[in-house]
Amino acid sequence: MDGLTSWMEKYILPVAAKIGAQKHLVALRDAFIGTMPATMAGSIAVMINAIIRDLPPQFWPSYDASTIPVIREIISINGFVWNGTLAVAGLVFAFSWGYNLARAYRVNDLAGGIVGMATLIQGIAFSYSTSVATTVPAALMDEINAGSASTGWSATADALTAGGWGWLKLDHLNGNAYFTVMIMGAISVIIFCKLMLADITIKMPDSVPPAVSKAFAAILPATIALYVIAIINFVVGKLTDGQLIIDLVQKYIAEPFLGLSQGLGAVLIVTIFVQIFWFFGIHGPNVLAPVLEGIWGQAQLINIDIFQKGYEGQTGTNAVLAAIEDGKAYMWVRGSFDAFAWFGGSGGTIVLLIAILIFSKRADYLTVAKLSIGPGVFNINEPVMFGLPIVLNAIMFIPFIVAPLVATTIGWLATYFGLVAPVSQQVTWVVPPMMLSFLATGADWRAPVVTLVCMVVTFFIWAPFVISANKIDPKLGE
Amino acid sequence: MISIASAMQQDAIKELLENYNEDGLSYSFKEKQGIKLLFTTTGEDTEAAAKKAKELIKAQPWGSVLYFQAAAV
Repeated sequence: MDGLTSWMEKYILPVAAKIGAQKHLVALRDAFIGTMPATMAGSIAVMINAIIRDLPPQFWPSYDASTIPVIREIISINGFVWNGTLAVAGLVFAFSWGYNLARAYRVNDLAGGIVGMATLIQGIAFSYSTSVATTVPAALMDEINAGSASTGWSATADALTAGGWGWLKLDHLNGNAYFTVMIMGAISVIIFCKLMLADITIKMPDSVPPAVSKAFAAILPATIALYVIAIINFVVGKLTDGQLIIDLVQKYIAEPFLGLSQGLGAVLIVTIFVQIFWFFGIHGPNVLAPVLEGIWGQAQLINIDIFQKGYEGQTGTNAVLAAIEDGKAYMWVRGSFDAFAWFGGSGGTIVLLIAILIFSKRADYLTVAKLSIGPGVFNINEPVMFGLPIVLNAIMFIPFIVAPLVATTIGWLATYFGLVAPVSQQVTWVVPPMMLSFLATGADWRAPVVTLVCMVVTFFIWAPFVISANKIDPKLGE
Repeated sequence: MISIASAMQQDAIKELLENYNEDGLSYSFKEKQGIKLLFTTTGEDTEAAAKKAKELIKAQPWGSVLYFQAAAV
């Protein structure tokens, strides 16, 4: 084990450290984390709606939350919270990304956030237009067309068209915007930062207050950066018959990329990497945050969004399932790992603690398990990871890697075959297992059952290793 | 006394902490117990010493990705 550790220290840790210290990746990770006040607030609103609007009909088919006083008002209030958070999660992320990227370059971070936000907004749809084929009498057609400048309605003999300018498309401001924000925001904010660092700025006299001077210094770099993006938007629009970059990115990059993340292979690969990193004392989710949050985190936001606003006339889990059918929502998202594989912390270690309490005859294991079970209920597993320890413990290597792989597979298959609703809520990771999966799936009562199945199966993976450890002298580990 | 449980960079942690001596706080390596490194510290407040050790390690280029535990013993 010492040789392997040395090898990891020599070859893997430097790479992990480089990833962990790479300023763009750190900024990206911090940008995701930075959106949490908004995304968590929105998630709470959606979750409350899931409990009071979508859970009761599972047991009481005639339940209609929109007819019940107080309940319907609470649902409306939650709608306001959602409007300002998850409905515009992409906009929030655009600011956070610009802000953190500018911070990474040590230039005006507020201006960086504003550049990031302006970059997204300038590339989205500002108008809408929709038509209905119908016969329009000539007199009515003339009347409609006479007022079209103010009403937004226009008509031909065989169609009615409603259109308007000044309506920002929410589908361009929500979780769908993340990939575009990452790409276009990076271009604009990095240009902004480089120009700031090159001191291509408007200089103000010393007598000008620092806040004003700082804002003026950012004007030229921000203007140039936003013009570069505007030119890109213009050229792409010309070359693609008026299509928007955000729609192209969504169609040709985001959807295929997120689609690839949905296979069991991709899910297992990331699970195994996280486990191996943990085992060797490297903070796996920290190193892999750009992947975990950038891919599965975005997929989760899209699911939450669809759960709340609905899809093709359906709401809640049914909407998410319908959207999954059309490739517009996702079966496996960031929270799916927490719900079905990482109960008690990475590795599903609460099951190990239970196995120790049942089978272990070792005083040291029993002491650690008793001390760790409390934090373990809240998915905090440092006491057992370092107390047992699991980290670098050759006996625990196999179950620590295999148990989450098996649990992930069970969770993935259960979701794939429709035995449990896909994760559609963001639940903070310290919520106890089963309760977490129940809430994360929009209050699907089957989710805790699937989690329980995962726990029982992984119990049988951990148990033989706990029993084997009984035969080992504790002093050998020291 | 404080303990630093870390699978990686144990030598680097030892060197880092033993070379630290500020505000009346210093660390002296005592012994290794499995993946735990035990240090004696100057000063009464071992909780603060453990917290400072954690900060020092996290500030290293390799520290941000290290999964470790610092605790007063």
